[in-house]
Amino acid sequence: MTLVPFSHLDSAGITRTLSQIADRQADLADAFFERRELLELPPEDSAPGFRVWRESGLAVRLVRDGQCWLAARDGISPEIFSDTVRRAARAMPRAPYPRPSFGISVWPDAPRSSELLDFPSALGRAVRAHEVSFPLRLTLRRHRRWVRIVGTRLSSGVEQEIFYSASAEMPWGRYGCLLPELTAEAAERLAHSLVSAYRAHQAAPPEPWHGACVLGPAATAVLLHEAVGHALEADTLALGGHPEAAIGVRLGSVELNVFDDPARAPESVRRTADDEGFPVMRRCLLRAGVVEQPLCDSVWAHHSEVLEAGAGRRGDRHLPPGPRSSHLELGPGESSREDLFAEAEGGLYLPEAERGHLHPLSGEFSLSFPYGHRIENRMPGAPVGRSSLRAHVSDVLRAVTAVGSEPRSAGAGWCAKGGMKLPVWATTPELRLEGVRIRP
Amino acid sequence: MKIDASLHAVLEKLSGEDWEEVEVYHKRGRSRTVRFAPQGTVTTFSQEEGWAVRAGDRRRSFFYAAAGEPRSDVAWPEADGRGVRLASAKPVPPWTPPSDLDVPLIGESETRGLFEALARQLAEELPGARLILGELADGSSESQLVSSREVEASVRQRTALLYLEAAGPGRGSRSIALRLAERDARRFNPRTLGRRLADLLTVTEKGTTPVRDRGEFVLAPAVVVSLLSALSDLWLGPGAEEKTAHLTDRRGKIASPAFTLIDDGRLSGGVLEAPVDGEGQPTREQVLVEEGIFRQPLLAWWQSTSDPSRVSGCCRRPGWRDLPRPGATHLYLRPETTASVASLIENLSRGYYLIATEGAPQVAVADNRFALPVCGFAIEGGRPTGSITGAWLVGSVSGLLNGIVTTARDLSFLPVSSGMVGSPSLLIKGLELRQRP
Repeated sequence: MTLVPFSHLDSAGITRTLSQIADRQADLADAFFERRELLELPPEDSAPGFRVWRESGLAVRLVRDGQCWLAARDGISPEIFSDTVRRAARAMPRAPYPRPSFGISVWPDAPRSSELLDFPSALGRAVRAHEVSFPLRLTLRRHRRWVRIVGTRLSSGVEQEIFYSASAEMPWGRYGCLLPELTAEAAERLAHSLVSAYRAHQAAPPEPWHGACVLGPAATAVLLHEAVGHALEADTLALGGHPEAAIGVRLGSVELNVFDDPARAPESVRRTADDEGFPVMRRCLLRAGVVEQPLCDSVWAHHSEVLEAGAGRRGDRHLPPGPRSSHLELGPGESSREDLFAEAEGGLYLPEAERGHLHPLSGEFSLSFPYGHRIENRMPGAPVGRSSLRAHVSDVLRAVTAVGSEPRSAGAGWCAKGGMKLPVWATTPELRLEGVRIRP
Repeated sequence: MKIDASLHAVLEKLSGEDWEEVEVYHKRGRSRTVRFAPQGTVTTFSQEEGWAVRAGDRRRSFFYAAAGEPRSDVAWPEADGRGVRLASAKPVPPWTPPSDLDVPLIGESETRGLFEALARQLAEELPGARLILGELADGSSESQLVSSREVEASVRQRTALLYLEAAGPGRGSRSIALRLAERDARRFNPRTLGRRLADLLTVTEKGTTPVRDRGEFVLAPAVVVSLLSALSDLWLGPGAEEKTAHLTDRRGKIASPAFTLIDDGRLSGGVLEAPVDGEGQPTREQVLVEEGIFRQPLLAWWQSTSDPSRVSGCCRRPGWRDLPRPGATHLYLRPETTASVASLIENLSRGYYLIATEGAPQVAVADNRFALPVCGFAIEGGRPTGSITGAWLVGSVSGLLNGIVTTARDLSFLPVSSGMVGSPSLLIKGLELRQRP
């Protein structure tokens, strides 16, 4: 049985109902329908065993004169929709709203996921292939989500996402990542990250270092997400003035061409419309280091001639949308891996970053690395322990002196901002920074 | 207490399918959240409802949760190879629900009024300072639980969470944030909060970082709460006794006589006050450390099967999507005196009054050390001589616990990820301020 819901929504009837509350010319009203399923395979020593969460619900939003009212409820039915419309409008209707039909498909039979059950052994084999062994508690999750948006101005098709998350607890710390698929290659990639962390876990942190370092694709993904993605969200930019003012400002080095392109994300999470129903676009955030088009949702784009909607995302139906990145891409440069390392001799190779933070007002930026390697003989050498980079965001982005020529898909992980937890993805090559300070 | 028939229907259905252990949980709630920012206001009204089942036997089990009302016509997931055991029913001491559970949710215009008054107060206290984000979420909920072990429980709760972020007058100035919780949103006082934001902004704008210094410290509740939360491994769970062993002196003490630590799930007036926990087990006051002597860790029913007297209802279950997990509800350091904070500061000959944290603590219990980024005031002769920021309060964990000289009377609770944690202001010796952790 197909699990795709919302394909038989009476979108015309819903639009008619919404039109009754969006009765002023500049009003915007939409209905957001959501279904999600989460399957979890906990660690072997944890009960209860297999875990399933299934939920559906809807939200109705009215935007008027810079104010937004959102009413959200769990469950989907004509009665729930009518009640939600009434709450968003904050008034009893003069005449009863017509009740559109929904035709929501029911949940299919008991959820199964053989790929979840098979992956722990595949990971175990991949770790053993590196000739190491260590205690590991693995939690695996499969996330599925379907959304459809019907508004007074436009209506999207059904968007669906499926991806996996893994969280590994080890005696020396926790490692988490997102995976578009649970393949043998994914098991090998995860095993490589765990084994690298294991081999470096007793290494001493590096001495304070001022000079060159090379970031691996996973670390670059976190850097781009924090320093470019969050920095160029319209609501973040608005803290310092009008978001349009950022366009044309040089934020980073000429090596940086950064895009947000949800339509080129890994296939299972690829989107054609955002969580407000607007078509997504290949949005150039930085072209040769200069800001071109910030991340923008419909509310910010509404009163602007240059800001474009299409990057509105919702954590879930109970939260209003906000401008966020989905899938960041760093345009490849011309440097081979050997070139990147050749100009960073004696510096640090930092393959992974576990977290980053950008202070939106002051521009202070920090990035933490769980481990790294000294660059010796133009390649990663002796391991080093934890370190961090702390500087002004523009200083970090201007310190990029070379970008690798081989982009790689790198799930950047979960983004948590303003109470919204969202999966974010990236495709990026390695890059070299010069003149940065890395501290233990 | 009347449990909805739908819960019993699910219980009977699963029991009829020969599952030995079955628990059905249902929660519904509604909330109004007003997010106030200079670029516009967002008002959200949410109604949430969901339910969850834990079922199994000694060899296998499953967990199923879904939005809406409990239903018995569900295709349950396949049980996996781990057994599950549920809590048996226990007598619950009488409990009177607080009267403010029935107070209506705060209105949209009331909330706007609160933020506008707060922004005015802030601008009066510190001209040019601005409130860049205010968010007030006011909600009420009702949860019910039944199980094959004859547990039947129903709990109503009421929580208001306030988040404030403000920036100073200077361009590129740092912002500061406050996160607070009350049972009734109308208890938030805009004048007090405006002054508090202004104090924090002044300190971070004008403060300097001392190179390295020792002295006496008065730690405000926010600073102590951060440390108590970070040290939770010392008080929670069966492994706690082992972790505190190396901190215990020859007299059996881990802390100064001014240190009495309590967890109380039915704390009168507490934001999370309830007669039972997330598994329907009765809550109570549990003394964990008494006048410096470690009495016992906080233990759930399955963590001390040989000695039930050490157990309290401490499995927290924030929502229907969550599995119950042991944790503190209202963990607090008991005030030992009726002294005011002002009197503690007046008696500082040379030291610091640390009013807030500037980031997460770094704690290594096994290595007996901690570091916490802090800000506050330098004090000489009982008077402030300047403000400090970007400093780290560092020391040993045992030095922290044993260095407490006395407490003030200003017990305050703050919301942390694991519940509510409270403390009065403390006078403490033996710690150090540094520029790096």
